[in-house]
Amino acid sequence: MSDVKPRMNGDGGMSVEEKKVYDRQIRLWGHDGQNKLRTMKVLLIGMQGLGAEIAKNLILAGINSITLKDHTDVSILDRCSQFLIPHDSQERNRAKASIIAAQLLNPNVKVSADTTPIEDNDESFITSFDVVIATECSPLIYRKLSDECRKSKVKLFIADVYGLFGYFYQDLNFKLNLYDTVFPFDDQNNIVPIIKNKPPTYVLASALLKFQLDFHRKPNPDTSEKDIEELKAIIDSISPDEECIKPDYFNEYYCELFCELSPSTSIVGAVVAQNAINSIMGNLVEGYNMFFYDHYEHEGKFHAI
Amino acid sequence: MAATIVGVFQPEMQNLIKDSKILLVGAGGIGCEVLKNLVLTGFSDLEVIDLDTIEVSNLNRQFLFNKQSVGKAKSHVARESVLKFNPNVNIKSYLGNIMDQNYDASFFSRFKLVINALDNKKARAHVNRMCLSVDIPLIESGTMGYSGQVEFIKKGVSLCYECLPKPEPKSYPMCTIRNTPKEPIHCIIWAKFLFNQLFGESSLDDVSMEVNEKDDLPKISAREWSIKNNYDPTKMFKKIFIDDIQYLLNMKDLFKNKRTEPILMSESILKEDYADYSHESDLKILDLFQYISMFKDSIVKIKNKLDLTNGKNLVWDKDDDDFMNFIVSCTNLRSNIFGIPLKSHFDIKSMAGNIIPAIATANAIIAGQIVIHALRALSKNYERCQSVFLRAKPNHKGAILVKDKKLESPNPNCFVCSVHGELILRLDTTRITVRQLDELILKKKLNMVLPDVMADNRILISSNEDDELDLYSFSLNKIQVVHGSRLKVDDYFQNYSVIIMIHHKEKATDEQPDFEIFNNMEDLRKRDEQLIAEENAKIVQETYDCVIEEFEKDDYRVDKVKPTYGSIRNEQTDTDMMETIDSEHEVSDAKESLTDSGDQEVSNEEILALKRKSGNEEETSEPKKSRFDE
Repeated sequence: MSDVKPRMNGDGGMSVEEKKVYDRQIRLWGHDGQNKLRTMKVLLIGMQGLGAEIAKNLILAGINSITLKDHTDVSILDRCSQFLIPHDSQERNRAKASIIAAQLLNPNVKVSADTTPIEDNDESFITSFDVVIATECSPLIYRKLSDECRKSKVKLFIADVYGLFGYFYQDLNFKLNLYDTVFPFDDQNNIVPIIKNKPPTYVLASALLKFQLDFHRKPNPDTSEKDIEELKAIIDSISPDEECIKPDYFNEYYCELFCELSPSTSIVGAVVAQNAINSIMGNLVEGYNMFFYDHYEHEGKFHAI
Repeated sequence: MAATIVGVFQPEMQNLIKDSKILLVGAGGIGCEVLKNLVLTGFSDLEVIDLDTIEVSNLNRQFLFNKQSVGKAKSHVARESVLKFNPNVNIKSYLGNIMDQNYDASFFSRFKLVINALDNKKARAHVNRMCLSVDIPLIESGTMGYSGQVEFIKKGVSLCYECLPKPEPKSYPMCTIRNTPKEPIHCIIWAKFLFNQLFGESSLDDVSMEVNEKDDLPKISAREWSIKNNYDPTKMFKKIFIDDIQYLLNMKDLFKNKRTEPILMSESILKEDYADYSHESDLKILDLFQYISMFKDSIVKIKNKLDLTNGKNLVWDKDDDDFMNFIVSCTNLRSNIFGIPLKSHFDIKSMAGNIIPAIATANAIIAGQIVIHALRALSKNYERCQSVFLRAKPNHKGAILVKDKKLESPNPNCFVCSVHGELILRLDTTRITVRQLDELILKKKLNMVLPDVMADNRILISSNEDDELDLYSFSLNKIQVVHGSRLKVDDYFQNYSVIIMIHHKEKATDEQPDFEIFNNMEDLRKRDEQLIAEENAKIVQETYDCVIEEFEKDDYRVDKVKPTYGSIRNEQTDTDMMETIDSEHEVSDAKESLTDSGDQEVSNEEILALKRKSGNEEETSEPKKSRFDE
């Protein structure tokens, strides 16, 4: 913690020390904005590269607290984008391995690690947070979180990065479509997206989610060639007629869909964090529930789906 | 280290990432994020340079630094932090200025790609020229608040950094600053000049008057007077806020316009008790007595700091609380005298420090896009290197990251990257000296480092000190540089040359710029047409103003007055102090160049350094024209 005793000065209790650190952003969103941030409690599920980026941005901004939740172990693939885990860390759990570097970013934020899988928590767990952000979960967990957060009016982000491609879903005003309306599931818990009149990025995201449900993993660099063929087959199967986007459309994308690659975790993680910040400050552009980052077109675009 | 894992990238890309040596210029807001992204992506041969040390106000976004690293070199700490998550990379870090002569063409030519993560135009323009000269691709970037941009620059393929004109900082006339302030910013600039006059490297831009202690002794400067009086806070207050104002009031012509006339404070105010201000919020506007106490306290504290330098000068810094208290108290005391609204400490700091807001997320987005551009550029997929803009809010299509349709081709008339680089320099050849040409036009305005100038096979300016050429004090016409002269200007360090055509124009009034630079005659003609239009509009406006003044005396209604022409010319000759100063207030325009990081004081320092060298010369900076007065 800060070694100087905080001196209160009538600006919502922010210490002089804090005001110095946050000076350049207070000049953007004002003292009011910063004070709102200082109350913001975040649950962040998934501490791979994208999780690390989101955690970094929120902790730097000076939120109240963040719980880093991940029950899985550090993997070699984390090396592509996870910068909070020291190379010589003895800790096997991702959340625990990240916590020292995460806390060092800003001593004013309460950072904690949680190694329980989200499916083992009861429904009330999420209600102690203002915002829940989930990454690297199965689409089935995303669907459950979407329902629960909507019920409890907890703001939700669901984000994933596949190589250089990335997307996120957000439910901030509790009015737009739920996750499983955006990506509909059938009786066998299979995603059956409605492809017509949708942006190509939606088609690609749907195919990747279906791949995850089918194979219980994301596309993997070890099996890249086989996985690309599978993806093409999925796109073909979910695009029923000639008007739809066909597998060839994504020829330039396929070879860059493996691991969470740092340039895109950097971009998607920052847009998620900034939107979470904006939602707490009440200056959010309403009317969107999806965001896609298209690495080939250099385009980051919100949609209402 | 994605590139070390088989299958993440295609083999060609994997090799390009592993083998490409990259130079990162700047380890600030964007630089930290780029360094992280490059290392994680698998680039393993990197060099990073930065001239700055870490400050507390960096910590909200420059995530490779923390409280323990404040005061240390950014480049070195950034390197060490990155090595913690990946020790298997070769990163060389330099604490230095990229414009230093150590970093010459042979330095730049060792890299496959250069990435700019800078916060000032001068260094950006320099790196642009160095990269053009050795034909190394450059990725240029900037952020400002929620917005940002990434641009790709390659010789003959894309626009270069200097192909299109950049917005210029706003400027204010010196006489307004000294005598007739009308807005808070005028008082803030005045306070910064006062700081330099009393504690810093003094220039001839003194704002506090000379003192005539005894009639038979020569006048002494306010600095000398302060030293003689051991910076006595009460005496200083009386001199600056009472005696100097009395002096202004004695200049009869100065306050024809009543609105700017100062109100003299009574000397009884000197006997008021100390008014505590230490627990006040920096958002609050305090009362007069608190500002007087703040002024006196700051004088004592700054004097102590000055004593510690052993006869050297202090350099103003917005992050020094005592310096800021001096500026805040001086600004508001002066505003109060001139009937200008007071401002809070927080607002004055923004304006005095030219603080550009900066957040981690915008830097991270731009840094991600930079590395994606780097991948496209290294695989020579240049058509995928269009400029990309980060918008603060989604556009009508919902996009916040928006790209240009295509990579823009070079401007064929660019004075930097085109083969026939030519510029027209319009000035009064009887007034501009060779020194002004060298320092204000070639170095400051045209961003050269070591210019050589030839005209008709005669050397006019040499970057080689051995040449012992000393034409600096001559005006251009004295050395036969006249209307129609063609100057061949070379900067061997930047490997940059340009022909400058001299266009003589008599400087008729002080309001006219000292020099203007055009890319071609067409632009010059357009500028003249624009000037005539502006002049006509101004005559109408000013006539309104002065007629209104007259009628107000007689209690007439204003709205019935019709414009009449004439009688304004006298208005402008009130003093001989028409100078224009550059306050470094950058114009913000999303599509124009953005700056990284909210630490934009570099250009102020550049100006100060220049002033030290060249005396009392200032430059305006309205687009493409400039002014300085002696």
